[in-house]
Amino acid sequence: MKITQLRSYPLTKVYVRLSFFILLFSWPVLSHATVFHDSLGRDVMLCSVPRRIISLAPSITEIIYFLGLGDRLVGVTKFSYFPGEAQKKPKVGVYTDINVEKVITLNPDLAIATADGNKREDVEMLEEVGIPVYVINPRSINQILDTIEKLGEICGVPDRAKRLVSALRERVARVVKAATKKGRPLVLLVIHVKPLMSINRNTIHHDIIRSAGGRNMTGDQPITYPRLSMEEVIKKAPDVIIISSMKRGGEFKKARKEWFRWHTIPAVRKGNVYLIDSDLIDRSGPRIVRGLEEMARLIHPEIGWDERQ
Amino acid sequence: MDSELILKDVYFSYDNQWCLEGIDFELKKGEVVGMIGPNGSGKSTLLKIMDGLLKIQKGEILLLDKPISSYRRGEIARQIAMVPQESTFRFPFSVFEVVLMGRFPHLGLFPFEGKEDLEIAHQSMRLTGTLDLARRSIHELSGGEKQRVLIARALTQRAQIILLDEPTSFLDIRHKVEIFELISSLTLTQGLSVIIVSHDISLAAQYCHSMLLLNKGSVYIIGEPSEVITADTISTVYQCPVLVDKNPISKTPRVTVLSRRGEGKKEMV
Amino acid sequence: MRGSEDQEITPLKVIYTGFILSGILIIISLISLSLGPAKISLKDVLTWVTGYKSVDQTAWMILFKIRLPRILLAGLVGFTLSIGGVVFQALLRNPLAEPFILGVSSGAAIGAIIGIVFGLGFNLGVPLLSFMGALFTILLVMGISSRHGGLESSTLLLTGVIVNAFFTAVIMFFIATTSGSRLHSMLFWLYGDLSQSRYVQLSLSLPIVLIVSGILYAFSRHLNLIVGGEESALQMGVEVELLKWISFLGISLITGMVTSFSGIIGFVGLIVPHIMRMFLGSDHRLLIPASALGGAVFLISADTLARIILSPSELPVGVITAFLGAPFFIYLLKQRGSQWTQS
Repeated sequence: MKITQLRSYPLTKVYVRLSFFILLFSWPVLSHATVFHDSLGRDVMLCSVPRRIISLAPSITEIIYFLGLGDRLVGVTKFSYFPGEAQKKPKVGVYTDINVEKVITLNPDLAIATADGNKREDVEMLEEVGIPVYVINPRSINQILDTIEKLGEICGVPDRAKRLVSALRERVARVVKAATKKGRPLVLLVIHVKPLMSINRNTIHHDIIRSAGGRNMTGDQPITYPRLSMEEVIKKAPDVIIISSMKRGGEFKKARKEWFRWHTIPAVRKGNVYLIDSDLIDRSGPRIVRGLEEMARLIHPEIGWDERQ
Repeated sequence: MDSELILKDVYFSYDNQWCLEGIDFELKKGEVVGMIGPNGSGKSTLLKIMDGLLKIQKGEILLLDKPISSYRRGEIARQIAMVPQESTFRFPFSVFEVVLMGRFPHLGLFPFEGKEDLEIAHQSMRLTGTLDLARRSIHELSGGEKQRVLIARALTQRAQIILLDEPTSFLDIRHKVEIFELISSLTLTQGLSVIIVSHDISLAAQYCHSMLLLNKGSVYIIGEPSEVITADTISTVYQCPVLVDKNPISKTPRVTVLSRRGEGKKEMV
Repeated sequence: MRGSEDQEITPLKVIYTGFILSGILIIISLISLSLGPAKISLKDVLTWVTGYKSVDQTAWMILFKIRLPRILLAGLVGFTLSIGGVVFQALLRNPLAEPFILGVSSGAAIGAIIGIVFGLGFNLGVPLLSFMGALFTILLVMGISSRHGGLESSTLLLTGVIVNAFFTAVIMFFIATTSGSRLHSMLFWLYGDLSQSRYVQLSLSLPIVLIVSGILYAFSRHLNLIVGGEESALQMGVEVELLKWISFLGISLITGMVTSFSGIIGFVGLIVPHIMRMFLGSDHRLLIPASALGGAVFLISADTLARIILSPSELPVGVITAFLGAPFFIYLLKQRGSQWTQS
């Protein structure tokens, strides 16, 4: 219907004029405002491409830098020490306790949180003061990679993100292909020495072990971070013991020596007691792929891994 | 109508056994009555009954000719005051504050004491010789001093009837006498009526107008000290051989406990 | 008439003391408003509070949405716990009593933890469940301890201790089997966390706290008497059992309520009454308002320190109350000897 033909319908004329005006004034807002759905199904509305980002967890900091958006980061949490530049950024607390006041003073237009670690109260508080919070919740290696792509999209660099992440996906595929051919050794991943603690299937660590061609000794324990007795370990007889430690050197040597008392354990007998940098497997960020590669190297040393990092 | 308190055929039990049976008693105005009897005979219970703190199952208690059950607790407190055997103040109050607490039954809705209340407290302390203890903490006092303060508190209640539950049990001989002296003179000067429960039989006999010997929950005998306190009554009720003679000074009964060694080691009770 | 002058408590004394403590309260609050990671000067705070000039958006946001509700909650919690401590110490005739002693703390904790496990929000869900937990526990404890309609102090205390111990074990079970952000939420709640203050919560609880406190204050003289012995008090006309029921329920109600917002903050209810008693005497007509206001001042100060000492990290406020409270209290105890128990 041509606009001129509408003259004979007075009410419609009003509607059309009204809509035109509304459209005119809301155009600037509508054109940039986008609603994203985060991993918890929450609607996060961003009025423009985020330029002042707060990372509420170290893994998120790594993702932002990975996407080349480090200069947009205006605040990080305490243990965001990788990459080195991140240490110079203002601190907003620890990821388990965010100082909302500090966040406000940094005037962000987006905060990114993780469901595994950040307190729900902190997220709610930030929302109440009007700061959009995007919550990620990756539960497997693939989901981590998807998350990195999604964050890239939100931050306005979807193509770059896609490119970077497919390189990562390639590396993952290579490892999985090679490692899962050669049988599955039983692996015990020790995340805490005293008390002895491991991880069950509800963790990314489990996914890493699996993808690296191993079998998680504590996979079907009911508790996410179960405490183990030495008896249990002796009974289950793992082939590989990997200690995830946040400190290097001395502590590991001591821990390793402790294990060598129990020579009935196959892992101990064969000398398969190793250390892995916990950052590589604890942080749900781009370095998880290195963690996977490292894990595969420890579980399947027989495979000639070349340094295609 | 010069009986302050009348008990008629009173029965009381805590559960299914009678603790007190068939008690008949009258407290006359201006009288000091000594209540004696062995442990477990029901003395403390009887005091509580008289104060209206426990409900009797049978019989009647008349306070100023009205049944005690018809009074509200606050009204009773304005007529009857109790001085306990011992009082533990969990937190430090000054002596003056403790004595002033006796005004509780008289303070209405307004929670602060007026000039009159303060004056009454002062007076009570003067009468009991505790005025110079006023600022001291109740915790610092000796046994005798504390008892006098508690008596002062009872006086502050402006009650006409004062019940004392073994006020001298923890006191040395000097202070025992002091307390009895005090009670005696107060009864005279303030027109009080007093019941004292005591194990100090001979001492009580010197100060009481009449005595009541309680045995297994019922009145064994009641009357003047010389009637009530005899070798026969005491040794029967207390189940312990005694010798009863006359105090040469006061001419009141004096009880001497006979030791099992047969010789009669003189022990004044 | 010498020797006992100005010993009695007059309305004037109470008002005077209340005035001074309220003044201190206001000053501490204003100072606290100006402290934090965001730099807001005391002058700005004053201009904002008096409405003299408006402050910029960020400052307003921080003052009104973050700091002020927190300070108000700290004041309210300190007020409530201290009044609970005073009344419990008198009624139970026990210097070690404090409002959590009858199981309110672990009951509230269990409720909160269940709320957290089920993923409820911190605006309504968790506080509501926490409050229900507190209420359930206090009714349980009182139910177990009541004999012939009366509440015996020692039975109450013992039952409270046992219920606390049992629930604490349940709490430890939850902690051992939870992970991730839920675990952190639980731990923070258990340590005491005043940062989740909302105006809705405050406006709901403030009137109730004031009403219950008012009722308890009306019983000040009765409490004085009970300190000297339940029997003596009874004799003089205090309805001891009724008072116990009303007080235990009332205090547990308001304690449960504020605890459901703030988590468990220990020490305040125990030591503030003692400190006030040392300086102002044991008469509850003065002690109750003094403890309430003193408790507010104390907790606001402690929370402010907790906020700024390791900024931008925060210490749990319970750490500060214990760190401040314990040595000071021991010092006072040594100075004044054991006036609190009689052999």
